[in-house]
Amino acid sequence: MLRTTRLWTTRMPAVGRLFLRNNSSNALNKNKLPFLYSSQGPQAVRYTAQHEWIAVHQDKIAFVGITKYATDALGDATYVELPDVGTQIAQSESLGSIESVKSASEIYQPADGTVQEINTHLEENPGVVNEDPMGDGWLVKMKLDDNVNMEQVEGLMSLEQYEKTLVHDD
Amino acid sequence: MSTFKSLVFKRFNSNLKKTALHDLHVSLGGTMVPYAGYSMPVLYKGQTHIESHNWTRTNAGLFDVSHMLQSKLSGPHSIKFLQHVTPTDFNALPVGHGTLSVLLNPEGGVVDDTIVTKENQDNEFYIVTNAGCAKRDTEFLRGELQNNPALDCQWKIIEGRSLLALQGPKAKDVLEPLLEKTAKGKTLKELFFGQRDEFALKDGTLVQIARGGYTGEDGFEISVPDEKAVEFAEQLLANPVMKAIGLAARDSLRMEAGMCLYGHELDETITPVEAGLNWVISKSRRNLTNEKDRFNGYAKIMDQLNNKTYNRIRVAFKYLKKGPAARNGVKIFLPDAQTEVGLVTSGSASPSLNNINVGQGYVEKGHHKRGTELLVQVRNKFYPIELAKMPLVPTHYYKN
Repeated sequence: MLRTTRLWTTRMPAVGRLFLRNNSSNALNKNKLPFLYSSQGPQAVRYTAQHEWIAVHQDKIAFVGITKYATDALGDATYVELPDVGTQIAQSESLGSIESVKSASEIYQPADGTVQEINTHLEENPGVVNEDPMGDGWLVKMKLDDNVNMEQVEGLMSLEQYEKTLVHDD
Repeated sequence: MSTFKSLVFKRFNSNLKKTALHDLHVSLGGTMVPYAGYSMPVLYKGQTHIESHNWTRTNAGLFDVSHMLQSKLSGPHSIKFLQHVTPTDFNALPVGHGTLSVLLNPEGGVVDDTIVTKENQDNEFYIVTNAGCAKRDTEFLRGELQNNPALDCQWKIIEGRSLLALQGPKAKDVLEPLLEKTAKGKTLKELFFGQRDEFALKDGTLVQIARGGYTGEDGFEISVPDEKAVEFAEQLLANPVMKAIGLAARDSLRMEAGMCLYGHELDETITPVEAGLNWVISKSRRNLTNEKDRFNGYAKIMDQLNNKTYNRIRVAFKYLKKGPAARNGVKIFLPDAQTEVGLVTSGSASPSLNNINVGQGYVEKGHHKRGTELLVQVRNKFYPIELAKMPLVPTHYYKN
């Protein structure tokens, strides 16, 4: 979808590419709640092939959103549909959806957990998902199930692995 | 995140046809997608869908609609032929005027919607039909000509001409300085909604300009030789109030204007009465005693018109609350959330109405009145809608 992004990254020399990753627009915004929730910051930030991100803190509280790459592809968000607080959602189940004028995109749960809070600010301001998808545009705050070990959840990627998939995303 | 409708389009397909403006779209940063067999721009770099939409409503947008099928019907019996395949009175249509009409199959179903213009007194007509229907239209019109060998007329596809649509309140200001007066001394100011005439560009190139369009705004559709299309488009885009606009905004604009999109609001099982297009069935063609004068599907269509024997009718709706858009195929229910009474055919957020969701669909007769409150079901949740008057956004046609 994002041809410009891909051409640009593929043309970057190796050193430049590393630089790009460290400053990637798909990295979690360090000045916003999903990062600042705990004083030490998240233990892990992981990505799915469907362009969700999950930031997990020490107390198994996790924030979920969609990546900058995804919101760029989606265009202006016009509505964000989120689950009810208290809903238990297993990995890969639908967490909600994001609408643009042209299309609707389903969001999937990256790891088993229970919805503790939803970002109600998005009800009136869906555009925040475009402006700051890796920060203020977080969608859901989860309590992960006790048995979830982030290092063992299948299908989750590091930022570097995720961005490699974008280069080859045809 | 994955998309219901394919968000990720296959970008290059060697089977896709290209319009004369294809390379210009690419150079303008257009995201090219397959559409009706053509590679067409859906959105251009530097604008979001909503920005493109709003730009067209407030300034001027340039749309490449060269994928649409331009054709010509001529011959002494061309009116007879048109009145066999459409319900419209083409005798009454003045020279230089065009009208929306529908091609009808023998059952009264809509083969395509079309704009037909009477070019001169010699029974020559200029016809624009949908790109997506080009194959079916060709087969249909050739078939009808074969089945009516007594009718002396020829239908020919026009090759080598691009079609550019300019839409928006400032479209006239961009176009006017690029034109000479017509041979008869006519200026753009004297060309009104529904009219079409030939103008010369400053270099003498002849172009045919029809006033009207698909967004509800004032605007023009200009037929220009392929070899001049890029230069002309670049001249138009040199004006800062004109921006190239893609298919995404074209769809949201037409929906607000209450226009049908073939394949959504119209298909071969839908009659013009069901589609709410009674006005294309001319008054003078509603009481035809002579079988020969009748159009395809006459008995069914007139029965629907006179006796309200249709079961469903096209409506527009607005959401009463926020929610995900009700798109093509979503079911419409009575407020009891049990009784299904219709189906959505198009729907999305409406940029001109503060992004509330709007749409069009078909509902059962009796539940179709403006103001009726119904429900749409999107992914197992119900959202209240109210049936609304079309167009959903006021039109700004240039009428005399």
